[in-house]
Amino acid sequence: MKITDEVRISDNGFVFNSKTGDSFNVNPTGLELTKLIAQGQDFDTIKNMFLEKYELDDLTFEKDFYEFCALIKFHQITTTEDPLDFK
Amino acid sequence: MSKTKITIAVTGLNNTDNPGPGVPVIRSLKDSEEFDIRIIGLVYETLEPGIYMEGLCDKIFQIPYPSTGSDELIDRIEEIHRRDPIDVLIPNFDAELFSFMKNEERLLRSGIHTFLPTIKQFQERDKDKLPEYGEKYGISVPASLNLGSQNQISEIKDKFKYPVMVKGKFYDAYMAYNSEQVKQAFNKISSKWGLPVIIQEFVKGTEVNVIALGDGQGNTIAAVPMRKQYITDKGKAWGGITLSDDKMLEITRNLIRQTKWKGGMELELIKTVKGEYYLIEINPRIPAWVYLAVGAGQNIPEALVKLALGQEVAPMESYAFGKMFVRYSYDIIVDLEKFETIAMNGEI
Repeated sequence: MKITDEVRISDNGFVFNSKTGDSFNVNPTGLELTKLIAQGQDFDTIKNMFLEKYELDDLTFEKDFYEFCALIKFHQITTTEDPLDFK
Repeated sequence: MSKTKITIAVTGLNNTDNPGPGVPVIRSLKDSEEFDIRIIGLVYETLEPGIYMEGLCDKIFQIPYPSTGSDELIDRIEEIHRRDPIDVLIPNFDAELFSFMKNEERLLRSGIHTFLPTIKQFQERDKDKLPEYGEKYGISVPASLNLGSQNQISEIKDKFKYPVMVKGKFYDAYMAYNSEQVKQAFNKISSKWGLPVIIQEFVKGTEVNVIALGDGQGNTIAAVPMRKQYITDKGKAWGGITLSDDKMLEITRNLIRQTKWKGGMELELIKTVKGEYYLIEINPRIPAWVYLAVGAGQNIPEALVKLALGQEVAPMESYAFGKMFVRYSYDIIVDLEKFETIAMNGEI
């Protein structure tokens, strides 16, 4: 999964896709996730970082992470070769 | 560098909720760093807001509607030209373009330069010929049916799924969910714009547009894609944003290369969720959101003036994406004398 080249992410959580013209506001957690995905971090690394930083269990993280990934993919913020690839 | 003095006549000063491109075209020209521009505003109606905007036009003349006859319109332009010489004329209404294209040589003989599509280019992109156009130039277009009379409305259900778009030859478009709504739209459109009324397949997606300028040799001099962010109930953009979309630019450049398009144009496209593009309309002139392109780095009206004067213009390749425009309405207080002068004398 890769953030598309046309997407700009501001430090205040404003995400703009210059290909579609869509813009979104993400909360601080969403921003942190988006930035980690943009850096090319894989699922396990992101999971470990979140589990270490927040009071969170594996299952809740996975559920919320996949839901977030599906959402940003739907809005064409990310592209994946394989639709099941969240790594 | 000293600026070249030049007089440009512009129509379409109707900056209403269905705005003509005249005011933004003038604003773009006034941004020119090469020309010192004097503007002659040409108006059909005495209440076109551009007449009353301070600092916009140096002189205003009223002109007759093209429907009264091409000759009357061109005679009036020539009369204005004799009194106040025009270097370049930029017409901004679809409905007047034919008269100006037809009389391009006559105008040039008088010394008035234009840079308009050819009659062939203009006619083959007519909305009622869009399927043939799409096939000829390899662009996807929605299926359509031309209605010459109300009796044909019953044919729609055999050929399309509702909703459908009902469109006029020049302007107006309504979405219709059943034959009754088609009938209402048919009556509204045909009484205003004549026949045929066009039924177009409804393609679900996002409407995106490209403003472009072709040099008549197949080169794209300028092209900026935009998405409407805020649309009025007349379907007009009240806010928009420039996009970074290579596919839209490729479609535009291909079309201009194949058609050798001459002049300004606007491509109206629908982008589906699958990323396919359908051409729904080509406006054969500069659109009213032209100032966004100027703000993004491509001064299309200035380039058009240079082309009209026979100057070389290098293609503008870059623009800023993520630039936005937002329109606003503004009340101008006008003294009755000004209105009286334009109403009684046809000039101000």
